[in-house]
Amino acid sequence: MIELKSVTRRFGDAVAVDDIDLTVETGEVCVLVGSSGCGKSTTLRMINRLLPRTSGEILVDGEDINKADPEALRLNMGYAIQSTGLFPHWTVARNIGVVPDLLKWPAGKRDERVDELLILLGLDPETDAIKYPHQLSGGQAQRVGVARALAGDPNILLMDEPFGALDAITRENLQQEMLRIQRQLNKTTVFVTHDIDEALKLATRIAVMDKGKIIQHDTPEEILRRPASAFVENLIGKGDRGLKLLALRSVGELMERYPQPRKREPNADGLKEADSLRFALSVMVWKNASRLPVNSEAGEEVGTVTREQLLQGGA
Amino acid sequence: MPLITTLPNPVKSNRVVQALALAALGCVWLLDLGVVQPNRIVSGTGYGLYASTGWLGTGAVISLLVVVFVLATRPAQKRFQVVAVVLTVALMTLPLLLEVLARRQLPEDSGYARIGVGAGFWSLAFLLALMLLETLGQLKASRRFQLSTVLLIVAGWWLCASREGLSSLALIREYSNRSDQFFQALTVHLSLSLGAVAISAMLAFALAVAMVKRERMRRPLLGLVSFMQTIPSLALFGLLIAPLGALSDAFPFLQTLGIRGIGWAPALLALIAYSLLPMVRNTYVALMEVPESVVDAGRGMGMNERQIFRQVKLPLALPVIIEGVRITTIQAIGLTAVAALIGAGGFGTFIFQGLGQAAMDLVLLGALPTVFLALAADAILSALKFQETSK
Amino acid sequence: MRVWLAPLVLIASLCLLAAWLPTMTPFFSWVEPGSDNLIYKRDSFLTLLQSHIWLVLVSAAIGTLVAVSAGIFVTRPFGREFLPLVSQIASIGQTVPPVAVLALAVPLMGFGEKPTLFALVLYGLLPILRNTLAGLNGINPAVLESAKGMGMSSVQVLLKVELPLAGRVILAGIRTSVTINIATAAIGSTIGARTLGDPVIAGLVNGNTAYVLQGAILIGLLALATDSLFEAVERTWARAFSA
Repeated sequence: MIELKSVTRRFGDAVAVDDIDLTVETGEVCVLVGSSGCGKSTTLRMINRLLPRTSGEILVDGEDINKADPEALRLNMGYAIQSTGLFPHWTVARNIGVVPDLLKWPAGKRDERVDELLILLGLDPETDAIKYPHQLSGGQAQRVGVARALAGDPNILLMDEPFGALDAITRENLQQEMLRIQRQLNKTTVFVTHDIDEALKLATRIAVMDKGKIIQHDTPEEILRRPASAFVENLIGKGDRGLKLLALRSVGELMERYPQPRKREPNADGLKEADSLRFALSVMVWKNASRLPVNSEAGEEVGTVTREQLLQGGA
Repeated sequence: MPLITTLPNPVKSNRVVQALALAALGCVWLLDLGVVQPNRIVSGTGYGLYASTGWLGTGAVISLLVVVFVLATRPAQKRFQVVAVVLTVALMTLPLLLEVLARRQLPEDSGYARIGVGAGFWSLAFLLALMLLETLGQLKASRRFQLSTVLLIVAGWWLCASREGLSSLALIREYSNRSDQFFQALTVHLSLSLGAVAISAMLAFALAVAMVKRERMRRPLLGLVSFMQTIPSLALFGLLIAPLGALSDAFPFLQTLGIRGIGWAPALLALIAYSLLPMVRNTYVALMEVPESVVDAGRGMGMNERQIFRQVKLPLALPVIIEGVRITTIQAIGLTAVAALIGAGGFGTFIFQGLGQAAMDLVLLGALPTVFLALAADAILSALKFQETSK
Repeated sequence: MRVWLAPLVLIASLCLLAAWLPTMTPFFSWVEPGSDNLIYKRDSFLTLLQSHIWLVLVSAAIGTLVAVSAGIFVTRPFGREFLPLVSQIASIGQTVPPVAVLALAVPLMGFGEKPTLFALVLYGLLPILRNTLAGLNGINPAVLESAKGMGMSSVQVLLKVELPLAGRVILAGIRTSVTINIATAAIGSTIGARTLGDPVIAGLVNGNTAYVLQGAILIGLLALATDSLFEAVERTWARAFSA
């Protein structure tokens, strides 16, 4: 658990972070969202003491972080940033192994961990491990950055716009991976982004920041349903709020489930349980269908969803 | 969001100026300010600050350093302005310390006796200059302001040197003994180095344009010019003696032109050879690095290749080309001094004559103007480059 | 391994030539006909070569040590105040011609090896210092940020990240410095250092072209051999970090 208690950070006369309180529960993903210069990165960098705070208290699992040795503190916090910061003179494997090395893990354990992470992030332990950062694509480099942040098996993960510099498709892919990994590992995560869609997608709770203050701290659904101010309303976009709400829930939550899975008709169109309601609606509008079958991961038909259900119960 | 947020400096003392002031105190304490020599060869007796200038001069120097030290404890704009003025005045009038030494310690009766400049004086001048440099940097002084400060100090030294009281300074004695030779050396030095720069600039420009046009000439040409740059000057001068000597033996009319194994001919050849690398490299890089988009835009507007070269590429490449000229000129001024060894003349003649006769002040008479020429060339060409860049 | 061929050949021919020059009298009698003094004999060429290399080596070692430590000092938080001044000294200092530094060392320290070494160290450390600063300041700030964020101590960041990344630029500085110093050491003959410049100076003073040629050939070869050695090291280094 991370607790920020009336934390303030000044740069000279400018106040970057203004007396904020924030609690991040263990295992949740807290996304700090806001426009550039709102203090979100500053807040993140105070948590691993890359920046000292001007006043206030930051506690990790009840302990003030200023009492710990800064290096030891950081070794227990994965850190991934937008420009990856991969070490250009080291291979991918050595880059990922840096924290295990700093923690003085035995070489065998470290190498196992590196392979495990490469696979987890969808990289090839054979061919990708021996590459140098300049030989990677943007998406691959960012995967390595995330793998490196996870390598020491930290309890806490700090991510500063890790997918900010990627193209839309790669970003979408990595967000999916993020969700998958988070379901698997359950790290307490603080994630900074300026992209509200990314925030809505990844967050357990979102903290909207503006001019150094937290305007609203709530679940994505609450933020969408009850924006605390005109600023938040503007940020989430008035036009497609309904669609964004639909995007938060999956087909599996809303569908009418059959008592018994059925055999799927060959070549029939269908949704997957993990698809969002927004996606389902889009397919229906496109196909002009009022009802669509839902298939499980195994490929069996497990239920149906109708347009009425979507329109009435979705948002 | 900037990744590394620079912190505005918290108010604390400027340790750089303070450290330099302490070092200066140490230097004037430990080293001789000046030397009184009975004649030009004998090394003479050294005098520290107090022995040289008595309590008045000592007091002035020490209080100067202490005042600067104290003022630097708080880096306020006002304080730095005061420090800059104090340091400039101090540097301008520094030679007066030697005049006091001459008045106090020089034997009246001896016409040969002279004052040599000691290590203490040089270090004091050097450290004061560094303090001034740092202070001007803190004040974010403009180029023009920095240059005028330097000119003020030079003018100060010039005025001091022309005073009667400093006529016994060894350096000035050496100069007045050979003021004709001095100006001849200056002429030779400048014409050799600037001539080499001018010729190699033309050559290098042609080579660079050829390299831009024909990519496959790039490697052999760059290889050749960097090969020549690698050969040490003394070796290259030496290697040119035999072939040029043979040439002038075979064709006596060359001798009437002054082309011999030693003298200005091998010197000029070697200087041109050395000047090619920085010049060719910079010109080539400058021409290649003009953004393709700008050239495309020119083409799109209907310029022909010639117009693109003259109106787009050349003006954009000019600052980098000037940087090449700057490096080359500084290098040529230094190498011309070495060329004195093969009889090319210039300030190197004084240096090597002085070394041969163990007459240190003659060495200084050659070395200091060489340094001054190089620094002046650097200042002028940097200013030119700056002007071109900011256009 | 092909990159090491050129330096090996050049070094071998330098040593062989230094040993065999004295036996090449027929060639030099063609250069300097009618003279009895065809071969420079005050010191053997091997001795001169050795002492030339020694001077350059010692000055490069001291220069590197001083310049790299100074470069590290002014890029740490506690020394950063000195950075503007030190980088200005490094660039203004290189404007001063090396031969002037050599000449100015004599009034301070007299004649011999000592002032030569002093001048070589003083002048040689400037390019190394400048490149150290360029190398350390040229590192992507994101790399340093994440190194710190990973939990490296500042010493670990310096040793594991900064120095290896700046290494190539520093090495290029050492190369420049050594190239200049081989040339300056040769001129050091005029202030009493024993180097391969001796035969050249003696030849120039006595009008003996054979002496001049002997010295000049060996100095040139030494410079080429050293340069190709650096070239090979730089290539090997570059290859090591970009498979």
